[in-house]
Amino acid sequence: MEEKKKIIQIKNVVKNFGDTVVLKGVSLDIYDNEFVTLLGPSGCGKTTLLRILGGFIDPSSGEVLFQGEDILKLPPYKRDINTVFQKYALFPHLNVYDNIAFGLKIKKTPKDVIDRKVRRMLKLVNLEEYGKRGITELSGGQQQRIAIARALVNEPAVLLLDEPLGALDLKLRKEMQIELKRIQQEVGITFIFVTHDQEEALTMSDKIVVMKGGEIQQVGSPTEIYNEPANEYVANFIGETNIIDGKIIDEHTVRFEDKNFPCDAAKSFAQNELVDVVIRPEDLDVVPREKGMLKGIVKFQIFKGVHYDTLVETRLGTSITVKMHVSEDKPVENKSAGEKISANSFYLDSEDVEELNDDRILDLAQAEAWNSETEEPVSIKSVESNIRKETGKYSVKFTTLAGTSITVDAHVVRANRQTSPVFQEEISAMEFFVKTDDIKDSMALDTDLKTWANAQAWSLEDGTDVAITDVKYDFDWENIEPGEYEITFATEGYQYKVSTTKALPDGTEVGLAFDPEDIHLMKKETIPG
Amino acid sequence: MRINKFRLMTYPYIGWIIVMIVVPMLLIGLYAFTVPGNDVASVKFSLDNFARFATDAVFLKVVGKSLWIAFLTTVVCILLGYPIAYIISKAKGNKSMILILLLTLPTWINMLVRTYAWMGILQEGGVFSSICAFFGFEGVSLLYTDFAVTLGMVYNFLPFMILQIHTSLAKMDNSLLEAASDLGANRVQSFLRVTLPLSLPGVVSGITLVFLPAVSSFFIPKLLGGGQYVLVGNVIESQFLTAGDWHFGSAISLIMAIIIIISMWLTRKIDVQPKKEN
Repeated sequence: MEEKKKIIQIKNVVKNFGDTVVLKGVSLDIYDNEFVTLLGPSGCGKTTLLRILGGFIDPSSGEVLFQGEDILKLPPYKRDINTVFQKYALFPHLNVYDNIAFGLKIKKTPKDVIDRKVRRMLKLVNLEEYGKRGITELSGGQQQRIAIARALVNEPAVLLLDEPLGALDLKLRKEMQIELKRIQQEVGITFIFVTHDQEEALTMSDKIVVMKGGEIQQVGSPTEIYNEPANEYVANFIGETNIIDGKIIDEHTVRFEDKNFPCDAAKSFAQNELVDVVIRPEDLDVVPREKGMLKGIVKFQIFKGVHYDTLVETRLGTSITVKMHVSEDKPVENKSAGEKISANSFYLDSEDVEELNDDRILDLAQAEAWNSETEEPVSIKSVESNIRKETGKYSVKFTTLAGTSITVDAHVVRANRQTSPVFQEEISAMEFFVKTDDIKDSMALDTDLKTWANAQAWSLEDGTDVAITDVKYDFDWENIEPGEYEITFATEGYQYKVSTTKALPDGTEVGLAFDPEDIHLMKKETIPG
Repeated sequence: MRINKFRLMTYPYIGWIIVMIVVPMLLIGLYAFTVPGNDVASVKFSLDNFARFATDAVFLKVVGKSLWIAFLTTVVCILLGYPIAYIISKAKGNKSMILILLLTLPTWINMLVRTYAWMGILQEGGVFSSICAFFGFEGVSLLYTDFAVTLGMVYNFLPFMILQIHTSLAKMDNSLLEAASDLGANRVQSFLRVTLPLSLPGVVSGITLVFLPAVSSFFIPKLLGGGQYVLVGNVIESQFLTAGDWHFGSAISLIMAIIIIISMWLTRKIDVQPKKEN
């Protein structure tokens, strides 16, 4: 191993603005000639860390050593570090040449030396002919290059770049990424680059520092970070990926989706250890169904220029089917009082009877009363019921002040639940009554159906809610007739993101194949925050 | 179709401009190039008014003095106004709002009233001379001097200068100062090389807003300079109101307008343009 010189040592740096802690004790060593990328979403503290290095803000505590010496006391203009600012911060009153020469003129460099250095910089950034141009006459990409030249001309030991490509369009970004890497290799100094774009980080860096919530998640080379992400957060952030629950069987085998698969990475885990299995979308091959190691159907495809981002579902989630009773709305009319009243029969979980009150009953029965002429709502003054915990049919009577009343059935039943041992989750839903108009007037039918059926799903491991992503029914909701219908609610099953060049219509049955070395394993862990 | 409808909305404004600005300007031009005829209807074109102005040393001296006092006022306003504007722009949050409010508060009171107040302060037996008397200098009066006139003008026009400079300083991107610091400039160097040149447009519009009213003001010299104190504004005023010679008055106005346009054009020349190196 080649011995490299540490140029910057960040030791336990903490920064808070008022009550918000932006950096929670960050320690990091940066070496000579490295292209280091601080990668993370906005608000992860990466820009704050960069500004501390530049000298624009002071940390609340911690140390920053530059070539072995504490630099926190030094103002920016005494540090051998230059910055390329997010919005370039070029001086609008100076032309390109004078912008680049700014630092040299401050240092009282002889005129001929300035001239030689500025010209060399213009050449380095491929803008030789642009010296006399005004800043406002330049395009974004050109301004970007000038900002880099203006910083580099001072020959700093470290160049800081604060999301410098953020304002450029995609094509220009790609060009500048290559350009920046070339410049860094040519001048041979340390670049510290801040970005939220994982692709940018992977393309350019020697070392990536993944940050989240003011803490470093992982430090490593692009290949290390990509292939062996330290945790689920890094894996997801560094690129779209598939993460599946798995279990180690022996040192060559991992089990997931109820099947055993040979896996090279299994040897570094203990037998029976629970792991997260990571398979990259580009490592999955679409094969004929019978040849597939996993079998599934195509949910949908999105064309991404060269390849299709494909979602393949290998296993349905937990599901439950309930009956829906649909009837016409026939309100009871009280002619003498000029009022109408309507309500539905309803089903009720026997476990919920104890917590039942009048408001809840009004909700369940969707009881309403109104003036026959003005349609103004009339309040329902009394709810009479004899509902008990035992399963059976009970009656409920709703009455207004004027004596208009309606009686409906309340069916107390045992909860209708389905448990899935594979996903370790449970789903429940109730049979229910609705009026045809409720369905026809629904703005978001799936959501309304979930509400009417009181459909819920939860994890058996920790009791947290699981989203119900699928609501299936086979009626035409705009022209629904009274009658009985079946509704199926389901949670999300196992879905794999697959990168493929094949166009596959939705619903195609396919198989998925992968190599043993493409199965990456991560320790299961809960990340704070 | 749509555009034409919107265009209709500008007509009242165009009408206003024609009636209130273009027509009076044309009238001034007409008066300046004519002399009174035998009756109202007859108009005789001539350059007599200009000749009279150019040949009379008294008028030239008045113009010279007006320009000098206005120049002095502008310079003092820049020297006083820039630091004040700088301090306001560096003040944080509410502080800068309060400072601007304090600055503009006096302008809510009529200018004439405030100028009268200065008479009270500067005249013999006024506040200033009482203070001098306390130190043993009896009977000091600053009223009716160049100093009093300049002071009155600076007092009245300073807020315009400060507000203009403050606007240009406040909208300056802070990252430019960070960049200067990053490139090795200390505070003084940052100010001289970045802040100052970038605030010049504010200074230039401040100059316009101070110099213009200062050169043509007539009530400040009248009140603080006394009856014998004559600046060009007073000459024009007396031509219109006392002498009744609208033709000569218009000619002087026109000459002043041209002088002002030329001086403004010269000032604009120093406005920031990216320097072109050869």
